Amino acid sequence: MSCHLTVEKLVTLNERYHPFSDLTKDLSDLTDYPPKFHFSAKDNICALGFQARAGSKILDGYRPPFDATVVRKMREADGILIGKTNMDEFGFGTFCTNSAFGVPLNPHDVERSCGGSSGGAAAIAALLEKHVSLAESTGGSISCPASFCGVIGFTPTYGRVSRYGLIDYANSLDKIGLIVRAPSDLRRFLPIISGPDKKDPTSCVQPRLELDGFKVKSVAVPEEALRNLDPAVLQAFEAALGKLKEQGIEAHRVSMPSLGFALAAYYVLATSEASTNLARYKGMLFGVRGGHIDQSFNDYFSEVRSANFGKEAKRRVLLGTYTRMVGFRDRYYLKALAVRQLIIKEYQGLMERDDAVLTPTMPFIAPRFTEIAKMKPLEVYQADFLTVPPNLTGMPHISLPCGYHDGMPIGMQFVAPHWEERRLLDVADRWCGEFKIRFPGAIA
Amino acid sequence: MDLEEVKGVAWNARLKLTEEEMQEFAKDLEDVLSYFSVLDKAPDTGKHDFNPVPISNVLRDDEVARDVDAGSLRDSMDTYQDMVRGPRLT
Repeated sequence: MSCHLTVEKLVTLNERYHPFSDLTKDLSDLTDYPPKFHFSAKDNICALGFQARAGSKILDGYRPPFDATVVRKMREADGILIGKTNMDEFGFGTFCTNSAFGVPLNPHDVERSCGGSSGGAAAIAALLEKHVSLAESTGGSISCPASFCGVIGFTPTYGRVSRYGLIDYANSLDKIGLIVRAPSDLRRFLPIISGPDKKDPTSCVQPRLELDGFKVKSVAVPEEALRNLDPAVLQAFEAALGKLKEQGIEAHRVSMPSLGFALAAYYVLATSEASTNLARYKGMLFGVRGGHIDQSFNDYFSEVRSANFGKEAKRRVLLGTYTRMVGFRDRYYLKALAVRQLIIKEYQGLMERDDAVLTPTMPFIAPRFTEIAKMKPLEVYQADFLTVPPNLTGMPHISLPCGYHDGMPIGMQFVAPHWEERRLLDVADRWCGEFKIRFPGAIA
Repeated sequence: MDLEEVKGVAWNARLKLTEEEMQEFAKDLEDVLSYFSVLDKAPDTGKHDFNPVPISNVLRDDEVARDVDAGSLRDSMDTYQDMVRGPRLT
């Protein structure tokens, strides 16, 4: 059996929606379809045969000489990599408007954002039938675009999936996951990408991945997460709670005061770690080279970094450098580490009674690009206040479409205890068994 | 945050900023750092683990193996007579 997908169709899709930053020129390997399947990888995941630029001009032209472990595993399972998906530079963004290689457009409305930073990954999952997107989340980069594009975004427990071959943003936060159209795809691909990998020590402490054996009976809904929402999001979320009750999932309203500290703690840790990770980009090892080799190394490095980092990358490097400086480390960095433990403890307390924690995914539907252009950096960061808490704690979470407003999708996000991915698979199966997800149009 | 402070942080981060960038980032950083002050009100748990889940060291067996060909890594670098070229150290 052959796949209806052609390179020409992919090129046409890419011209219209820009989900890819690099695209295959040959789909002849897809002839045995199925069992073969097509997948994409976010552009910060290295793969042979493709550029890996992580949305940054400073990595332009970089072709890694190896596959990331997740890409290798997908290829070994008969997957055909069709392209690298566009993203905010190094993952720095909420709306996927910070890439050096164009802005992906929301398949439901091209005047609106796909969400970030895995915007291209969510867009192509919404556009292509039977496609699976490898995505990555640091502070919400899977849940947010999944919510805005109306698809399923699954972020496993920190350490569940090897990050060997991932271009780091923040090592204590980065997680590779999936953006797909159906829960059955999660059941199929999560076991493929999971598991210990000696090349990533953080993946080696994980217990075995269980897919079944847990039925979710109740969820905790923090009141703090229901403030400052677009009324349409709140309405869709409340309606979803009613439907969940009919499915046997009771919602308990709770208070979770530590949520008020999550966003600040996250941005301190994420920018601190990012500012050290980005020290490796200096015009020598990867991507673009610097100018005059006769300069002193400080001038050479500064010149190439200043010319090739985008505005948001510079902003975050400055922020992270500042919060690590002598005199501020205790106030910001160490306090943020302590707050992470506080939030983990509070989640664990809630999940002693309830099986998961549930909130909306994003406080509003996908905004228009004209609206985004008016937002200040702090306002953009604050849009992440619902996706940051589970990411900060490393707990697995899933964003599922739960309603529509003006034709645009709205998402809800379930959070489960560390290593309890099966609870999320249970709610995904039950919810999607009854909720009809609207896709913007399919071509293969 | 004053411009001298931004300039100092930028130097530490090996960034050369234009006057216009410094003005803009000074304002942005002021906003964000002011928001970060909410952390002053957070209770200190005294736990400062670097990872969200416990991590233990994992050592690979000491076996001779070629993972990635060194030559292919040099392809993306500026080389001269099989050596990597870099800027002056002084």
